[in-house]
Amino acid sequence: MDYSKTLRNNNKIYSRTSSQRQGQQYSSDFSLRFVFTGNERYDIGRRHLSIYPDSFLILNRGTQYSTDTDSSIPVQSFTINFDQQFLEDFKEYWAFTDNRLLNKNGSKTKQYQEFDETIYPFNGDMMYNVYHLKQYLDNGMHDELLINEYLHHCLINYFSIYNEEILKKAEKLNFLNQNTKIEILRRLNLAKEYLYSNYNQNITLEGLAEHSCLSVNHLLRTFKQAFSLTPHQFLTQLRLKRAQLLLRSTTYPINEVVNLIGFECPSSFIRLFKTHYKVTPLKYRQSA
Amino acid sequence: MKLKYIPVFAEDVDAQIDFYTQKLGFNVISNIGFIEGEESMVLQANNLDVAFVMAGSNRDSVYKSCIILNTEDCLKDYHLYKTAGVFFYAAPRYLPAGLAAEFLDPGGNRLILLEERSYTEI
Repeated sequence: MDYSKTLRNNNKIYSRTSSQRQGQQYSSDFSLRFVFTGNERYDIGRRHLSIYPDSFLILNRGTQYSTDTDSSIPVQSFTINFDQQFLEDFKEYWAFTDNRLLNKNGSKTKQYQEFDETIYPFNGDMMYNVYHLKQYLDNGMHDELLINEYLHHCLINYFSIYNEEILKKAEKLNFLNQNTKIEILRRLNLAKEYLYSNYNQNITLEGLAEHSCLSVNHLLRTFKQAFSLTPHQFLTQLRLKRAQLLLRSTTYPINEVVNLIGFECPSSFIRLFKTHYKVTPLKYRQSA
Repeated sequence: MKLKYIPVFAEDVDAQIDFYTQKLGFNVISNIGFIEGEESMVLQANNLDVAFVMAGSNRDSVYKSCIILNTEDCLKDYHLYKTAGVFFYAAPRYLPAGLAAEFLDPGGNRLILLEERSYTEI
C-alpha cells in the first residue's frame, strides 16, 4: 500500500511499493528504513548497502544517499523520518530514564549525537512495533497521538538495539582505549554490513578485510571478540536465515533457493539446515 | 472445567460499574448471588470468555485482584483507554514476556494489559 504521511510535528512516514526506482540523490533526516518484501539497495558514498526484511538501516540527518531496487518481486519499503526536535526531546527523556547512564556520568549522552549508519537486525520489539504501526496505517487510521506513541516506542527500541549492538559489542573488544574500541567496531560493522549486503556472492576473507580497512588477522580476531562468531559462521547463519525467508515466502524450488543464498551445493545446504533447525528445508516449508 | 468468573473488589459498586462499562467497554450481563444477602453484577466484554463479578467492600472474603488482560497491540489499547480517561500509572514497559501497561480501577484493583511477544527466533 502506498502512502506518505506528514504529522503535525513533522515526523514523516512513507510506505511504497515499487519494482524499479532509479537513483536520485537525497539528503535524509534521521530515519529508519525497512523493507517487508524484496530488497532495496542504498548507495551512500562508496558503500552499497542492501536491506532485506530481516534487517533495517538507519541514516543520520544530512546523509546523501540514493536508492535502487533490483529485486524480481515488488519491493515494499517503509520509512520513518524523525523530526529533529522529536529526536532531541526523546534523547532528553532517554537520558533521564536510563539510570545506568545517570549513575556513570552525565556526559554519556554525547554518544547519542551521531549513530552508526549501518544495518541492524530487525527483530524483537522493534519488529512488533513497526508491524503494528504499519498495520494501523494500512487500515487507513490516522490518530496522530497514537502514531507518535508508536514512533516514540520505535526510538526506545532503536536506542536499546544501539546499546546492544554498538555499545555492548564495543565493550567486548580487547583494547584499552575507548576510542580504539569504537573505531574498530565501526570497521567491524563495515564488514558486517558487507556480509548482509553481499551474502549471496562469493565472499573472500581478503575482500572482506579490505572492505573493512583491517588486516585479515585483525579482522578474524576482533570479529570473533565482538560478535562471538567468526565471519564465516556469521555468513552461514545469515544465509540460513535468508533461506528460511525464501522458503516461507516464495515457491522457488530448493535448488533455486540454494543458488539464491549463495550456497554451491544443495546437499551440504540441506545438511546444514537440518543440523541448525532440526528440520529439513522441505519440511520447514510445508509447516510454514 | 473452565475459568468463568473473576471477582473484582469494589469500594463503590456504581462507580466501579461506570468505569468498566464506559471506559473499558464491558457490559452488565446478569446478576449473581455470589455473596450471601447481596446481589453482585456480572460484567463481560465482547472478546473475553471470562466474566467479572463486582463484589462489595464490606466482606472479608473479597480481596483486591490483579488481572492480566491479553491484547494484540498493547500500544493501541493503551492509547484507546488513555483517551477514554483511564489513568495509567506508568508508561508501557518491556518485560521478558512482552509489552505491558498497568492501570488501577476505582476500587484499587490492578489491571495489566499484556501483549505477549516471542523473542526466540525460529
